[in-house]
Amino acid sequence: MKTRMKELRARYDLTQEDLAKKIGVRRETILFIEKGKYNPSLKLAHDIAKALQTTIDDLFNFEDDER
Amino acid sequence: MKDKIGILIGIGIAAAVIVTLSFFVLNTGNLELNEISLIGIVLILVVFAIYILWDRIKNVRKGLPVQDERLKLTNYKAGYYGFIGAIWSAVFAPLAIDILFDYELPGHLVTAVVVLVSGFVFAASYLYMYWKGK
Repeated sequence: MKTRMKELRARYDLTQEDLAKKIGVRRETILFIEKGKYNPSLKLAHDIAKALQTTIDDLFNFEDDER
Repeated sequence: MKDKIGILIGIGIAAAVIVTLSFFVLNTGNLELNEISLIGIVLILVVFAIYILWDRIKNVRKGLPVQDERLKLTNYKAGYYGFIGAIWSAVFAPLAIDILFDYELPGHLVTAVVVLVSGFVFAASYLYMYWKGK
């Protein structure tokens, strides 16, 4: 899974901690989502997209060969 | 508020375990190898608990939640592995001790081994998933 979270965070000048506070999760969760090591739930993905003023489709990209 | 109460209770329990262990070690004459190893495992679990408490305190101070969906999932998975560890240790610990040391483990020690092994497996798998993000 690839994500544009880091890019969008930089656009709005948000640190991982700022984004984590905004959404109500731990900073490590944001870190691992950005690294592709954790797949967020639908609700969390929606909350992140809302906080970064974008859509889930724009934010996350699952490669075709992933199952 | 609930998070802070949880942290305080955790600190109290960790302190009580350390004090109890200290009294046990100070008042016991010669410690046997099996007692030393059990004390060692208890200390490892206490250190694990203190680390988790320190991490929670750090997050509460920053205004971040103590637990989120990822940590809840980590908890459930580590609990599952701890349960598997309990089952396997209950079956194989008495057998292994009997084969290796020609000693039949009494019931209360089997219980102690099962509790400590499952706690150790829980702690190890929790930390692994916590740091690796899986």
